[in-house]
Amino acid sequence: MAKETSIRVCMGPGGIASGGEEVLRAFGRELKKSNVKAALKKGCSMHHVGCMGLCARDVLVEVVLNGKTYTYQYVTPDMVSTIVSKHVVGGKPIKEWLVDDSYVNFIKKQTKVVLSDCGRINPESLDAYIAVGGYEATRSVLKSKTPEDTIEIIKESGLRGRGGAGFPTGRKWEFCRAVESDRKYIICNADEGDPGAFMDRALLEGNPHAVLEGMIIGAYAIGADSGYVYIRAEYPLAVERLRLALKHAKKKKLLGRNILGSGFNFDIKIKLGAGAFVCGESTALMYSIEGKRGMPRITPPRSTEAGLWGKPTVLNNVETLANIPYIIRNGANWFASFGKGKSKGTKVFALTGKIKNSGLIEVPMGISLRKIVYDIGGGIEEDKKLKAVQTGGPSGGCIPASMIDINVDYESLAKVGSIVGSGGMIVLDEDDCMVNVAKYFLQFTQSESCGKCVPCRVGTKRLLEIMERITSGRGKTSDLALLEKLGNDVKSASLCGLGQAAPNPILSTIKYFREEYEVHIAGRCPSKVCKELLTYSIIEELCKGCCACLRACSSGAITGEKKKPHRIDQSLCVKCGACFEVCKFKSVDRE
Amino acid sequence: MSDNVKLTIDGKEVQVSEGTYIIDAAEAAGIHIPNLCYLKGMKAVGACRLCLVEVEGGKGPVIACNAKVKDGMVVSTNTERIQEARRFVIDLIVSMHPLDCMTCTKAGVCALQKYAYDLEVAESSFTRKQFGYEPDTANSFIKRDPEYCILCSKCVRVCKEQGTNVLEFMGRGVGAKVITADDKPLQESGCTFCGSCVDACPVNALLDADRWRKGREWEYENVKSACLLCGNGCDITVGTKDGKIQKISAGQAEGSAEKYICAYGRFGFDCIEAETRLTAPMKKVSGKLKETTWADALGIVAENLKKAGKDAGFISVAGIQNEDALALKALAKIVKTKNYDTTMSLYADAETLVNSQAADIDSADLIILAGLAPSQWERVLPQLDATVRRRAARGAKLVVINSSEARISEAATINLIGDEAASLKAVLKAAIGKGLKADKKLADAVKDATVTEEAEQAGEMFAGAASPVIFASPSLFDAAANLSLAKGSAVAVPAESNAKGVALMGLTTGGTTYKEMASGALKALYAVGEVPLSKRPKVDFLVVQNSHLTELAGQADVVLPSATFLESAGTMIDYLGRLKYLPKAIEPQGEAKAHKDIFIQLAKAMGGTIKKPTEAEVKKAAKVKAKTSLKPFEAKKGFDVSPGEIIESVNASVISGSRLIMLKEMAAATAGK
Ligand SMILES: Cc1cc2nc3c(=O)[nH]c(=O)nc-3n(C[C@H](O)[C@H](O)[C@H](O)COP(=O)(O)O)c2cc1C
Ligand code: SF4
Ligand code: SF4
Ligand code: SF4
Repeated sequence: MAKETSIRVCMGPGGIASGGEEVLRAFGRELKKSNVKAALKKGCSMHHVGCMGLCARDVLVEVVLNGKTYTYQYVTPDMVSTIVSKHVVGGKPIKEWLVDDSYVNFIKKQTKVVLSDCGRINPESLDAYIAVGGYEATRSVLKSKTPEDTIEIIKESGLRGRGGAGFPTGRKWEFCRAVESDRKYIICNADEGDPGAFMDRALLEGNPHAVLEGMIIGAYAIGADSGYVYIRAEYPLAVERLRLALKHAKKKKLLGRNILGSGFNFDIKIKLGAGAFVCGESTALMYSIEGKRGMPRITPPRSTEAGLWGKPTVLNNVETLANIPYIIRNGANWFASFGKGKSKGTKVFALTGKIKNSGLIEVPMGISLRKIVYDIGGGIEEDKKLKAVQTGGPSGGCIPASMIDINVDYESLAKVGSIVGSGGMIVLDEDDCMVNVAKYFLQFTQSESCGKCVPCRVGTKRLLEIMERITSGRGKTSDLALLEKLGNDVKSASLCGLGQAAPNPILSTIKYFREEYEVHIAGRCPSKVCKELLTYSIIEELCKGCCACLRACSSGAITGEKKKPHRIDQSLCVKCGACFEVCKFKSVDRE
Repeated sequence: MSDNVKLTIDGKEVQVSEGTYIIDAAEAAGIHIPNLCYLKGMKAVGACRLCLVEVEGGKGPVIACNAKVKDGMVVSTNTERIQEARRFVIDLIVSMHPLDCMTCTKAGVCALQKYAYDLEVAESSFTRKQFGYEPDTANSFIKRDPEYCILCSKCVRVCKEQGTNVLEFMGRGVGAKVITADDKPLQESGCTFCGSCVDACPVNALLDADRWRKGREWEYENVKSACLLCGNGCDITVGTKDGKIQKISAGQAEGSAEKYICAYGRFGFDCIEAETRLTAPMKKVSGKLKETTWADALGIVAENLKKAGKDAGFISVAGIQNEDALALKALAKIVKTKNYDTTMSLYADAETLVNSQAADIDSADLIILAGLAPSQWERVLPQLDATVRRRAARGAKLVVINSSEARISEAATINLIGDEAASLKAVLKAAIGKGLKADKKLADAVKDATVTEEAEQAGEMFAGAASPVIFASPSLFDAAANLSLAKGSAVAVPAESNAKGVALMGLTTGGTTYKEMASGALKALYAVGEVPLSKRPKVDFLVVQNSHLTELAGQADVVLPSATFLESAGTMIDYLGRLKYLPKAIEPQGEAKAHKDIFIQLAKAMGGTIKKPTEAEVKKAAKVKAKTSLKPFEAKKGFDVSPGEIIESVNASVISGSRLIMLKEMAAATAGK
């Protein structure tokens, strides 16, 4: 086995976006060529695999030859024939196309548990999953463990929900197990609504069977006989792979009646979500499955008592579930050995923003933020200054650069006003405007509010208005206090998690970047992001009178004769920045 | 349930039963917890966030509509912190509200206005926004103005729960809105114009269409009454101003989720001033009706009745008050005739209605409908339809037994289609098979029934139910009552409001029947109310006593103008056996008089006396004990007039004399489409 030659092409979200399919096809064509076939006596297998992680360098291609793995970066179809002829056939890797040390660091400094098979196995093959130990956990649980034992293992492992709230998974299962009912359900939350997040998508596309296996084990533990995967319709590839995985699993009797001869019955259906953020909230999600409008409801009762169709229901996130088979296979202690304090195991993050190695990473809980940003992420793009790291998406907050040594775990992040959340991590540098970042997230939550409860429906709108006021030069000194009061009121009075967390981006940026707000209110955006706060003027000494700006200005704000310094009439300027872009002599000043 | 939980709310000791929500416990103690979205009796939604209270030892404020009481709990409903949180919510709502209380019809009864006043929110601290939505004013019943809507969702929930399901939420965030399917006007959305949503709406977003400048509600005098237009006899609240009725709404307590009246009851009152309204007595003069004095008219009638004697007869609708019935009986005695009968005899026999049992529909866990096809859409016993659907929506089981599929069948847990008496028998047999205790006679009576699979299931439900109620058409009552010998109660549902009262008052013939009289068996005929008769039978003398000039009245020798039920004080007994009081909400139009007063004066004109019937007399007459004994499992014959037909014809003048006529036009328009 070890000596087998194979090629893996990254077809994760990033890989596909960068042209992974074309690259894969090019390899197909190359390997079919007669001379190549003749040269490769033992043949060469080719796989498209799920996300390999470093999306910034896609398309990533791995060539496994003589037991060694070589990774090529930025592969395009025209490079394929060379890779095949020189390396796959010729045995000589093309050094300049291979990844560098920073990639090696990116991979080495991570700890892969839930992603360990993602990007390595063919996600469309059940055999591939089984070959790496897949469904062993199911087999062992069904054969030799009671539901209670199973729950005990998950409790001991310390696994907490990866969907955002971090609720202990074993306890959730235990609650549901304890409720008497003729029917119970388990649902996988694959709605992944945070903007920019793709952790769950990558998992579903890269290793769908792990998620299904987690569901089967969960269903057995709580006593459910049917399950749903609630997945957003915007993930067609994930849906397709999931469908295929379900089909294969059913065929192998891993789903359906009398699973593996154990007498346990369980089946899974797929339910497509329409992409409303609020439908990721547990009660809204269940209404949506029932065919009703996705609107959160008040609790109690909790879903574990009365969830889908009024029956006890466990809802778990994709990543939470995908961890389950690994925990069962390797033991609770093994899993708990990763992580710190009350945050056990690993967590997948989508590392994006102004970071060199942007992509999907998996790290042990409790790792320092510095390690993520500098060791794995390779530092800030263009080596600029780090300003903050935003975690938790629209429900989260910002961690300022001064706290870079913070441990990334549930408790530590909560202490500083942010959250681990579902795993969004956006690196911000000196060019980013914190007020604008907060406004961006609020715009999102405000428009996604379901409209049911007053604080969120109207409160987020009012928050946004104040933010718009501040970023457009109409801010008042009293606005900061108002934002804080309103933000806290919305948080405490809203019905569901959406409204309860919507003010977080604002509150945390005010906490750490108050000055930046004050400067905005005074009329300036130091990062020069907030358009309406900028003033464009022409530096007379530098202006050559070329008239480029005059021609570019669509509002007729610029006057001046040829070869003489031009001027901008501030009352006419609409701050579009066209003059700034067009001036070759850098004589347009933006303040 | 016993009041077994003791708690303290704002320092007051309160004792309530387990499972009560704090908001209800407080109300019981006379403490109102502000709220905008709570409907007592319905599951809370917690959308307005106003009903926050503090519980000693709790983590933070909880919403009182979804928090149950606990023994020893100490609740504070009005702390500084709570007030601040409420002020915040009202401030936000006000920031999206027109705030034109000066001209708003809802002022005075608007919940938002009340709380803004209590919390001193004069103006929002945020910039105020208007939605810019257009009102729906395309019908004459309900004005829907989303501009005022605070999205409490009460309207959506009541309409959904009662099964009409016209309203729904659409959109997200501040753009969320209550709409009809495809945002069509109400009349194109299957709306029945019951107005339940109007009663539920806390603000001016849903209002009776004609209310603008007809007075604020604090100017109204509100009286509780009952509607006499159909067999449901719903509770109503009548609002009057300047001696005129301005508004009728459902009579249940404010904020209750059980409110329901139909469009007839709510909007039919315009008929009081219809063109066809009779305001003076009339007599036939050379083939034409001419107005005359009461003395003249009564003289003529007295003389003719005397002349006819035992060949005179009275036919009446069963929607008259008990006192009218008693006075009519007394009058007949003076006339010396035993011929008096009502429309009740078309669909029920008196014995059935007398024996029909009392029942508490709100605590029924199983409802069986036998031979009844109530429909809100056709306004056939609409309140029964709505109530049954509401019970079903809240978890009660529903078995519909009918000869063919009815609209209510869609809400049923089980439908038994076929011969109704046979189905009832089969259900009882199945129930006994599932362990229901029944005496030997009863068990023997059902032995030969054929039990279908559905009947088997229905029987199992009956056997397992704690308090089943069977509603039956009067002809099926005996068969239904057989089941009640084993468990639960059986109720006969008549088509007219006071049929049970009329039966209890004994206004059933000792001579010729209604049908015989209506086909001209006598010399003199005296018709009371809008009897379903359009052609004058062959009689020497015809008196019509009614509130409106009907086709029949046009052919009468004398027409006596009577008061409508809103203009006459009296009592009625509804199908559930409840005695209801109807005060005189307004004075009768013109010279119209209450039926009973006319009878009394007529007696006088004939040289006799009738004493005004008293409440005590009514109660005494109503005190007949319902008897239930084993009867054959058969439908009684001869009562085949459908409730729909009766309701439609006894209300013909109400419908054609009010905006209700639009319902017909709308129905025709949709049917034409
Ligand atoms: C507005 C809102 C959106 C959410 N969206 C998601 C989502 O897209 N995916 C997810 O797994 N959890 C989401 N959640 C969290 C879920 O409500 C729930 O806590 C989670 O799915 C439970 O699974 P876990 O315990 O495995 O994390 C969301 C919560 C809120 C309040
Ligand atoms: S907090 Fe927002 S999303 Fe949640 S119920 Fe309220 S309005 Fe809907
Ligand atoms: S009038 Fe009745 S049927 Fe029409 S929307 Fe209102 S509650 Fe629904
Ligand atoms: S129309 Fe009235 S009842 Fe309906 S949601 Fe709006 S405010 Fe509430």
